[in-house]
Amino acid sequence: MSRLAPLFGRRRRYDDLSVSIQEHIAERADELVAEGMPRIQAEQAARREFGNVGLIEQRSREAWQWPTAESILADVRFALRQLMRSRGFTATAVITLALGIAVNATMFSMVSGFLMPKLPGPDPQHIVVPSSINPDAQFQPDVYPVSVPNYLAWSDDKRVFAEMAASDGRSGSLSQPGQQPEAIVYSAVTPNYFTIFRVAPELGRALLAGEDQPGHDHVVILSHGLWARRFGSDRSIIGRSVRLNREDYVVAGVMPETFRMMAYTPQLWVPMTLTEADGAAGTRKNRYLTLFSRLAPGVTLEQARAQLKILAEQDQKDYPEAEKRWGASARTLGDFLIYSFGIKKALAVMMTVVGFVLLIACANVAGLMLTRAVGRQKELAIRMSLGASRGRVMRQLLTEGIVIALLGGVVGLFISYFGIQGLRAGLNFNDAVAAVPVSLDRNVLLFAMAISLVSAVLSSVAPALKSSRTDINTDLKSETRGATSGRSHNRMRVFLVGGEIALALFLLIGSCILIRGVYQLDHQQLGFNHDHLLTAAVQLDEARYADATKQAQFVQEAIGRLQQIPGVQSVAVASDLPASGPGSVPIHIKGQVESNASEVHTALDVVVSPEYFDLTRIPLLQGRTFTGRDDGSVPGVVIVNQEFMRKYFPGQNPVGKQIQLDVTGVAPAWYEIVGVVADVKSYSEDPRTEPEVYEAWAQRPCASFSFLVRSNVEPNSLIPALRRAFAELDAELPLLRVMNMDQVIDKQRSGNPLFTKLLAAFAGLALILSAIGIYGLIAYSVGQRTQEIGIRMALGAKTRDISRMILRESFKVTAIGSSIGLVLALPLPTVFDSMFQGLPFRAPGVYPLVLVVMLAVAFGATYVPARRATHIDPTRALRSE
Amino acid sequence: MAKDSERRDLFPGALELMILQSLRWRPMHGYALAKHIKQVSDDLLKIEEGSLYPALQRLLREGLLESEAGVSAKGRPTRIYRVTEAGLHHLEQQVSSFEKMFAGITRVLAVAKS
Repeated sequence: MSRLAPLFGRRRRYDDLSVSIQEHIAERADELVAEGMPRIQAEQAARREFGNVGLIEQRSREAWQWPTAESILADVRFALRQLMRSRGFTATAVITLALGIAVNATMFSMVSGFLMPKLPGPDPQHIVVPSSINPDAQFQPDVYPVSVPNYLAWSDDKRVFAEMAASDGRSGSLSQPGQQPEAIVYSAVTPNYFTIFRVAPELGRALLAGEDQPGHDHVVILSHGLWARRFGSDRSIIGRSVRLNREDYVVAGVMPETFRMMAYTPQLWVPMTLTEADGAAGTRKNRYLTLFSRLAPGVTLEQARAQLKILAEQDQKDYPEAEKRWGASARTLGDFLIYSFGIKKALAVMMTVVGFVLLIACANVAGLMLTRAVGRQKELAIRMSLGASRGRVMRQLLTEGIVIALLGGVVGLFISYFGIQGLRAGLNFNDAVAAVPVSLDRNVLLFAMAISLVSAVLSSVAPALKSSRTDINTDLKSETRGATSGRSHNRMRVFLVGGEIALALFLLIGSCILIRGVYQLDHQQLGFNHDHLLTAAVQLDEARYADATKQAQFVQEAIGRLQQIPGVQSVAVASDLPASGPGSVPIHIKGQVESNASEVHTALDVVVSPEYFDLTRIPLLQGRTFTGRDDGSVPGVVIVNQEFMRKYFPGQNPVGKQIQLDVTGVAPAWYEIVGVVADVKSYSEDPRTEPEVYEAWAQRPCASFSFLVRSNVEPNSLIPALRRAFAELDAELPLLRVMNMDQVIDKQRSGNPLFTKLLAAFAGLALILSAIGIYGLIAYSVGQRTQEIGIRMALGAKTRDISRMILRESFKVTAIGSSIGLVLALPLPTVFDSMFQGLPFRAPGVYPLVLVVMLAVAFGATYVPARRATHIDPTRALRSE
Repeated sequence: MAKDSERRDLFPGALELMILQSLRWRPMHGYALAKHIKQVSDDLLKIEEGSLYPALQRLLREGLLESEAGVSAKGRPTRIYRVTEAGLHHLEQQVSSFEKMFAGITRVLAVAKS
């Protein structure tokens, strides 16, 4: 009541107050008249004695007011009226800030989608992902999958892990009678998988205990997406059967749409059958399970990590052959998902860039506000002389800043709605990225609001401080537009514009270095000929191609059929496409003693058919390539690349030497090196070349591989014939990726094109904004100096002198700002090197180039106002006050 | 906001105390109150007339005073201020605390003189 009551009776209170005060003054005046003073003088004297009526009324009213809320409302209303009055200023300031806020909100939608994933189920923070630590992996070695024996051992530790589920990502074919077989990614999971997340199915049931036993395991849980897309959200799907990898599975349930975990979102789940053989000691090197575990009550992540470390150390002792140097650790679910996505650094760079763009926008708006404040000097002085305190005037100016920033925020959000749509469309370079929801969500809204307020503070505090420090006397008296305070305002603007230029230059250099690095990667020589090369990947299923003989037979028949297609020159198969990051295996070299246990030799391992080198045009340097005779009936042979020779046989001829490959699931044997071929980049999107070993397809066929087809016609024109050939061979076998090699490489660039495009756009925006800043500064200063220029010209200064004077002013700011920007940008290559390994960031040429661009832009922005200055008519200028 | 609202020559609360004490003697309108305080204090205390009104409003708000429509000695409409029960109570508390304070100050000053 005490809060609200005053709000109601207030009108009456205010009237009472005025009545009292009016009566007070009237009575005093009467008294003075009675003392013999003339009426008019008496009234004036009474008022003087009383003091500032307006101020006192205001103070008295404040006693009733809901402290600041009301006067803030009044301030906002006043600010809106003021801003309406100068629409040009308002529009410029709002749009400038809106652009800054829009790019930030747009980029933040990615932060929200990728770094703040919505995790499934209740209390997801208690779910951890225990992983192996791979001693040899370069990329994210601490989230390596786990072997079955380790899963079984770790899940037994109930004091730490209340429950643990395992998941194995697989790809297979989903088919229905009369429909094209579809390649899908799915997961085989232990039946307790859904229990860990505590998410109930949307339809039907989850997996039951016991469904991991052979004979009971042909049930499938569909994801919401697959159910909607492939089965038209048919609710009667439960109990019906679908064909997965040529076998019938009964649909038991459908998971809700919210059951989603970034890159770990398969299209369906089947039970994982774990037999005794899977857990045998010999399978320790088979690390393929991703584990999810709910921690026991009260157990922290650190305790879980400590326990895993103990378990891993014990394993090292018990199974030195398989576990030597391997470790174990855990991350929380959210941390794991974000980390394994590996997008954090790129986002950090982008957010820094857009943050700088916003700073530049704020500096521009602050400059505008200063200019405006000069024009309002007299208004402010009058308000202060009428009793407004400095704090009060400042609050008014800040309110204006906040109103502008909030308007900018609203417009910015509107723009970012479209920005996010565009971003969303660009985020399609792989399924995992496309599956992450990026939208204008609550996080983005909150963020936009927060940065609007921050920009309000950044853009209006300095001008408000400056303008409220008004000297009433000089400002009211001065007939000119405040020449003295104008100069100090101008100093501040010079400072702001200089800062803008420094930031813009820094951003431009950083962006150029990054874009150049990515460009060079995209255009690096890969070491093989990727023109006219069609590729298609297959995954042979166990149902039909259980053993190596059947796999080899399939390949032979397929190659035969493909070669019949007109336009096809040659066909090869390879376990991995060139420059597509094949797996790495430990190797041993006969006769070389491994001096240090921690220094394990590794090489990338690819299995290729004899036609491969000829087809890809990878030159043979020494020895021979594979022939049709290199099959299972003869001792193993391998071919190595140049880097392998350089690293493991420096100064020697490796041909004839024996090496052993530590391939999982293959009995160790010695292979003879029969040839050396030229290097191919290990990854098309990375400058590295690693030691590589090629095995002969006929000696070790595998189930998952790609066909390479060299054609003398446009490769994609062969796709229908290629599909027909495979369909004739096996109608139920899906082709995973059918595309030409250039498309494969393009796909492997993943986010790079989007990343560089965004960088270029933001750097361009920064450049434009700072150009506007320079223009605004110079135009304003020319306007201020109209009289001076008029005098100079009247006294005989030539237009050339005038324009030189203006240009000098602009050049000074640009030079100072640029030098600061250059110095700040010097350590950038080192910073980027530490963030993104292997990219060519050393680019000293970028610095002078960007500097020249900046100077040119500054000159351009100065040119218009400088020209205007030279066209000043001295007689008009002198009268211009 | 009330903090910076007056430049008082009096210590905080003194003006309110004098208003309450004066109005306790008899209800008055603003001008009479100002005149009363001036006369009683023999012009020793400098009170800006204007600062009276914010103080009156604060006292009204806190329920220590109430106001009603009335007419001045000259017959003009004005508002008459009157102390409420709560105001009387508040006044007694304040007066006793002031008296203690004055006693303390006086003693200290006396000791310092001797």
